[in-house]
Amino acid sequence: MRRVSAVMGFMGFALAGVLLMSGCQSTGVNEGVYGSDNLYGDPLIADIPLNNLDGLPTNGDRTLFAPVMFAYDSAALNPAQAAICEAVASHLMGRGGVILEGHADERGSRDYNLTLGEQRALAVRAYLIELGVSPSQIQTRSYGEEKPANGNHDESAWSENRRVEFAIY
Amino acid sequence: MNRAERRLFLSGVMACGAGVAYGQRVEVRKSGAGRIGISLDRLISDGSVEGQEFIRVLRADLLRSGWFEEQSAARLVVVGRVQNADVLRAEIQAIQVADKKRVLSRAFSGTKAATRALAHRVSDALVLAVSGKPGMASARLAMVGNRSGHKELYVCDADGANLRQVTQERSIVVAPAWMPDGKNILYTSYKQGYPNIYRTGQREAVSRFGGLNASAAVSPDGRRMAMILSKDGNPELYIREVSSGSLQRVSSTRRANEASPCWSPDGSQLAYVSDSSGRPHIYVLALKGGSPKRLSRTGSENVAPDWGVNGQLTYCSRQGGRYRIVVADPRSSVSRVVPVDGADYEDPSWMPDGRHVVVSRSVNYRSSIYLLDTQEERSIALKEGTGDWFSPACSR
Repeated sequence: MRRVSAVMGFMGFALAGVLLMSGCQSTGVNEGVYGSDNLYGDPLIADIPLNNLDGLPTNGDRTLFAPVMFAYDSAALNPAQAAICEAVASHLMGRGGVILEGHADERGSRDYNLTLGEQRALAVRAYLIELGVSPSQIQTRSYGEEKPANGNHDESAWSENRRVEFAIY
Repeated sequence: MNRAERRLFLSGVMACGAGVAYGQRVEVRKSGAGRIGISLDRLISDGSVEGQEFIRVLRADLLRSGWFEEQSAARLVVVGRVQNADVLRAEIQAIQVADKKRVLSRAFSGTKAATRALAHRVSDALVLAVSGKPGMASARLAMVGNRSGHKELYVCDADGANLRQVTQERSIVVAPAWMPDGKNILYTSYKQGYPNIYRTGQREAVSRFGGLNASAAVSPDGRRMAMILSKDGNPELYIREVSSGSLQRVSSTRRANEASPCWSPDGSQLAYVSDSSGRPHIYVLALKGGSPKRLSRTGSENVAPDWGVNGQLTYCSRQGGRYRIVVADPRSSVSRVVPVDGADYEDPSWMPDGRHVVVSRSVNYRSSIYLLDTQEERSIALKEGTGDWFSPACSR
């Protein structure tokens, strides 16, 4: 319920979000790995420019919320982790802000992983905006593969490293 | 080697080049095959420390160039004297044994402090005189190293010597790229908290929009800068006019990422990475107009392109579970994998000779800097150990 009212509060993007949540087939060209076309995190949100960084915090508390995890080479938000985003959105209602820190695993080029991490952060941003968080409360910061959570080199470390962390301020 | 022989040798090289363009399979020589036998025994120093160093560096440069092999029955004899007076002075002649023709006869001089640089100049002059192609010995390399505990920017010579740490930011440096002047370097750093683009020798950021500012590449004429920005809500390719600061958005792919732009030698085209097809591939875009053309067809990931002055593109391709270096002709789209050992090779950057690429090579997740010969099955270690070294870029 909280989610629906939040969506209603953001009229400009509510329609697409509600249609998708009510089960309409998406007709997008790039089917995401979860069988949906960015069900969570409408790519139309991508048209909202990011904030100018002047005067904004550069750090926050990462311990308040668990990171959301991603599949290999994917920026599609996993529906199983949407609840984390919803908790973040409710925390941010009318106060503070968040730096969404996008990360990638070490495979692939550093350059490409920077944009992949950014796209992951932007997918979370899009969903937070759908949930009613003001774009002015959200910054994105991609670290690419530069700051792994787990420094090992195996499948389980890589899956821990494909993430977006919430630095709350 | 007489003139006819030299022509033959060169036409062999050209045939090899043509094979790159038209043949699906290219014969890559085993190391050492087809090299010119050279004698350096008559290269004599005055016994000074600098004179001896000069000869040592010159010999290493010539052998590294890929054109020469030291032989007693040589086709080419290098005769020279190096003297250390107020300045270091080298009188160098290169003589074809068969017809006594001098292909090079010149005096070079430089300060004692620049002994290595003088040897590099002589090596490049010898390569040019014999092969008709530029050498790589005088090039400079930029790279990222983590031996201080932070990822900082370093530079060194093309032979790995003269290593110098450029940044002391205690932050993260990513993706260095040389400015066309060969002096300054653009890179992405988090020193002000967010990933912004900086230039060496300049405190303020070159680009610091909200979100990602990365992968800066300046056009060969120095007038435009390509980069990846997410300020409008998605990572896209942009071009900035350096003088006016005006910004043009080049890509518009809401559902996809762009990364790693690089310029064609004439500045009329860009090659870059896009995953708009679902997987990262290399695209080429003519800036006059038209839609981007996908260049890479195989491999599950194709990333990190670099466009050489030889007109060829090199990039990194994941094939058979390994990262390999590919050389591709952007006109014919014909590509070939540079064959080497089973290590992972990434982030290729052309050396000015249009033959070697500098790469990062990883084994067991330790990364070092190597030169790869794209004509021979040969790789040369430049920087190994004392931490990891990656993202090499060669000056143009």
